[in-house]
Amino acid sequence: MVLPPNVSEADFSRALGEFRSAVGASWVFSSDEDVALYRDSYSIYWGEPEERVASAAVAPAKVEEVQQIVRVANRYGIPLYPISTGRNLTYGGSAPNMRGSVVVDLKRMNRILEVDEKRAFALVEPGVSYFDLYHYIQERNLKLMLDVPDPGWGSPMGNSLDHGAGYTLAAFRDHFSSHCGMEVVTPDGDVIRTGMGAVPNSDSWQDFHYGAGPNVDGLFAQSNFGIVTKMGFWLMPMPEAFLSGTVTAPRHRDLDALVQEVSYLEDLGLTGMPQYGSPIAQASFGPGAGAMASLMQNGWPSTEAVERFVTAQKLPAWSVQLYFYGPEETVRATWQATKRRFGKAIAGATFQDGEFLTLPIPREKEPTQSDKPRLGIPSLEVFNMVARNPQTADDPSDGHADLFVTIPRKASALWESSRILFEAHREAGMPARQNPFSTPFTYYSRCFWTGTTVPTWRDPAKNARSRALFQTVMDRCAEHGWVSYRTNPAFQDLLVSKYSFNNNSLLRFQEKLKDGIDPNGIIAPGRYGIWPAKMRKNRA
Amino acid sequence: MRQTLFLLLVAGLGHSALAQTVSETNGKAVFDKWCAPCHGAVAPKNVMFGNGALAGTSALAVKYKGKLPAVLEQRTDLTSAQIKTVVRRGLYGMPITRKTEVSDAELEDVVAYLTRNRKK
Repeated sequence: MVLPPNVSEADFSRALGEFRSAVGASWVFSSDEDVALYRDSYSIYWGEPEERVASAAVAPAKVEEVQQIVRVANRYGIPLYPISTGRNLTYGGSAPNMRGSVVVDLKRMNRILEVDEKRAFALVEPGVSYFDLYHYIQERNLKLMLDVPDPGWGSPMGNSLDHGAGYTLAAFRDHFSSHCGMEVVTPDGDVIRTGMGAVPNSDSWQDFHYGAGPNVDGLFAQSNFGIVTKMGFWLMPMPEAFLSGTVTAPRHRDLDALVQEVSYLEDLGLTGMPQYGSPIAQASFGPGAGAMASLMQNGWPSTEAVERFVTAQKLPAWSVQLYFYGPEETVRATWQATKRRFGKAIAGATFQDGEFLTLPIPREKEPTQSDKPRLGIPSLEVFNMVARNPQTADDPSDGHADLFVTIPRKASALWESSRILFEAHREAGMPARQNPFSTPFTYYSRCFWTGTTVPTWRDPAKNARSRALFQTVMDRCAEHGWVSYRTNPAFQDLLVSKYSFNNNSLLRFQEKLKDGIDPNGIIAPGRYGIWPAKMRKNRA
Repeated sequence: MRQTLFLLLVAGLGHSALAQTVSETNGKAVFDKWCAPCHGAVAPKNVMFGNGALAGTSALAVKYKGKLPAVLEQRTDLTSAQIKTVVRRGLYGMPITRKTEVSDAELEDVVAYLTRNRKK
């Protein structure tokens, strides 16, 4: 049995009793067997003393029960760690940020409180998953499209509070940015509503997000200043049509011109998330594997060697898939304009028409529909990326941790960060998948993310190697000013240490807030490096 | 004595079969919600990285190499203990499932559904 830090067994027992009074005995989990269900399945410390395991879990069904839990925690000094659906895999899952915390499992708070078709918003509780909200909309034939992340079994609330993102237009795929209004239980057990929700009888809580005065919503994302119990989201009106198309650029040095044209479309809101690719990199997973291995065998190749390689491969260096949403007339016109602009900017660019669909997708066609998330359909198909496959048949990993850094939309930053990742993998004795044709992710429209998924295991020796890789990549990328936007709890102290302008003044400011708002330090100690005063020595 | 035992067995089977039908129906609903998105039989042709199958089905196809069906609903060898262990402890990329997601009663229904064709 794990106890919360500095809490006696007798006090913990009394607290559990009070939790049971608050939510009912069957919704307090304290046996070893039940608490084990709150382990992080993908823990990079699995089975080691540093693994972040819970002392118990409590599952309230309504906001008043959350308030009671917070008050009990304050009485006994028990750290709480709220989860919504607990499916934030690679970023901690349903496990707490600090060993010994009591997980507040909000899965039972699963009401879809309102979906307004005309004003295109939803108001939900934490335990509502993307699947739940999707089916609610579908069953009522509401003309609304969700922007869903991969995988889709997480919650709109949890995903947005960890700055998750999806695939459609930039206005919707930044999930925190597209939220509107929240309800929060504060660390003293009070309840606040933000934006227009603070106005009694307001009927525009999900229409206008600022209200008046300081906008505090950002304090409750990637943080520990309260437990969010309701949240509103702006949804996309169901477009009449969807059209995709692919552009290729022949030379390696064409990437900046390609990025510039793609960014033009992105910043005007004309395309969904662009999917950069490389036909040469794609070939290296098949018949071109030997050629790519040869290119990389002596380390990161010179620009000249890369360009010679492209010529020899007789394949375009780059591709980008673009996705258009709207009336048929406009999506077809946008694709035509795209061809004109890219053709002018990049000599030798080619164009391939993709899929044209009228929306919504008929229900019977959904199971075989490709690109589900780009059509607002939640799916778990992304797990194919990490499932046992012929290459890992004898030793599949037990999970993974995402290692991505934010870089500007520039070819030079992409290539240098890819080189750092490649060399760090080689030094760690791990397969290096990066090469000069590695492509960026564009979940957030104004920047690139580059990185990889690092395997995690139920084997301490292998996990130690994965952790060392994290440290190396995060240190080296930070020298260029490139850091992660989100990371596994095991690396949150390391990550925030990189945001060190003016002697870490940002973190020091957040700590002042923490001390004022949560003096007993009961909400998620250590989340994103914010420790209560009494625990600052815990910082890694 | 032999006849009494026979009647008891028949009565027991009858009760079991009736209860199992309800449980199997519930189990299928739970399976469709929580398991089928990875372990279902139908996938898009170009599903990412998946050899044409969903993640769980694809992984089991690689694991069993045709010796057992990759689609869980086609298996006739699954046991209650196997199913419960994998659901509650996770396995490789498949994470742990909590009781606030699939309750113990719902898990019993899933067991009933996935073992309905079990060879005796």
